[in-house]
Amino acid sequence: MISVSPRTLDPKVKLDLNNLSPEQVALEIKNLNLYYGDKQALQNISMSIPKGQVTAFIGPSGCGKSTLLRCINRMNDLVDICKIEGEINLHGENIYGKQVDVAALRRQVGMVFQRPNPFPKSIYENVVYGLRIMGENNRRVLDEAAENALRSAALWNEVKDRLHDSALGLSGGQQQRLVIARAIAIKPEVLLLDEPTSALDPISTLTIEELINDLKKQFTVVIVTHNMQQAARVSDQTAFMYMGDLIEYSDTNTLFTTPAKKKTEDYITGRYG
Amino acid sequence: MDNINLGRHISGQFNEDLENVINHVMHMGGLVEKQLSDSLTAVYDADEALAKNVLANDYKINALEVSIDDECTRIIAKRQPAAGDLRLIMAIVKTIADLERIGDEAQKIARVALENFSGEQKALLLNLDNLGRKVLEFLQATLDAFTRMDVDSAVLTHGNDEKIDREYEALMRQLMTYMMEDPRSIPQIMSVIWSARALERIGDRCQNICEYIIYFVKGKDVRHTTAEDIKSL
Repeated sequence: MISVSPRTLDPKVKLDLNNLSPEQVALEIKNLNLYYGDKQALQNISMSIPKGQVTAFIGPSGCGKSTLLRCINRMNDLVDICKIEGEINLHGENIYGKQVDVAALRRQVGMVFQRPNPFPKSIYENVVYGLRIMGENNRRVLDEAAENALRSAALWNEVKDRLHDSALGLSGGQQQRLVIARAIAIKPEVLLLDEPTSALDPISTLTIEELINDLKKQFTVVIVTHNMQQAARVSDQTAFMYMGDLIEYSDTNTLFTTPAKKKTEDYITGRYG
Repeated sequence: MDNINLGRHISGQFNEDLENVINHVMHMGGLVEKQLSDSLTAVYDADEALAKNVLANDYKINALEVSIDDECTRIIAKRQPAAGDLRLIMAIVKTIADLERIGDEAQKIARVALENFSGEQKALLLNLDNLGRKVLEFLQATLDAFTRMDVDSAVLTHGNDEKIDREYEALMRQLMTYMMEDPRSIPQIMSVIWSARALERIGDRCQNICEYIIYFVKGKDVRHTTAEDIKSL
């Protein structure tokens, strides 16, 4: 018998995105259609987002990536002319079901936006804001939660001596990490990041990217980004969207080296337009 | 994606950078081909001047390798190429390393022309020249496939190496017979053997380049797979 040695050493096991087991799935999007008035903004999107990983949505402006992200915690409910068909399942339950409490959903699915939006309060009060709303007033619990969240958001060392100063005195990059700390203080399961670094300088951007990598140990992260290199650096899976369609969804290494679709290739090599 | 699609980058400068680097690789390929062809002619015709010319020209190939490597590094640093562009740069970086080595092998062959062969021993050189012309054709077909980034001809050309290997083995058997018959000719026969070995190595390097073409076009890394795997692409 001749033993056949593998052609490459230690091949990385890829998730089969079309056949995830129920334990591996954080979110399941099924036949999702979305209309703004007469205009269809999302066309029959189906995908499974794996747990404990970073999934990036990329695509040109207006392709529907932010719209899709907003669907995941029902931010589009706030848009009057928006109509949604299909399902998004979290724990096997459709978040668009009639029984769903949207506030409870948003506690499970946190969101961070493009521009840091700290409240005009102290750093400390920003972080514990969600817990206070949920009725937590025990000082010791709040202190501990604030420290944990700030540590997870890689901000603790920079602000620990001025927790009671105004959050508005922080730099843009620090404010964005503060907002992330605020989002994770209530321990959501999924964290949605809508272009979280597009208003930041390159160094703050790297800090946030490093942070995203740490966050996936505790949360499922879904990120929308205009910066393709950022998607390549931080994500495990990448979905490329174009004009409301999900064109290609695969593991990030494959998508950025050997994309299957011509449209994806053209977009990521800068031949789009 | 059936050929190099450069025309539609949003960044015209990026297009220009890629076109330049490809042109330089083709120029390097042309030089290497000329070096090999000249070295074979020099050996066959015992043309000392031509052989010296080959030895003197190798530096040009080396310099091109260095400057193309440099261009590729700059493109990676400045453009962060992805997908096809990335595979193209990777394929180029590897291709020029193989081309540079083919240049070195041509130099080795040219050195044989500087030795004195007696009348009978010239027959050996005829067989060496036969193998050499086949290898030269292989190199030409490889560079052709590279220029057109033609995956079908890369697959077809890739198979040539097997024929070269078989010819090489036949030549070796013949040379060994000569050595046994006439031990005094061993020094000359040894240099023929080194040249044959150099030609065989050139065949391997052409095969590598075919693999890089397949990698660029198809996105599949076919190194260390079987010929059947490659044909089934």
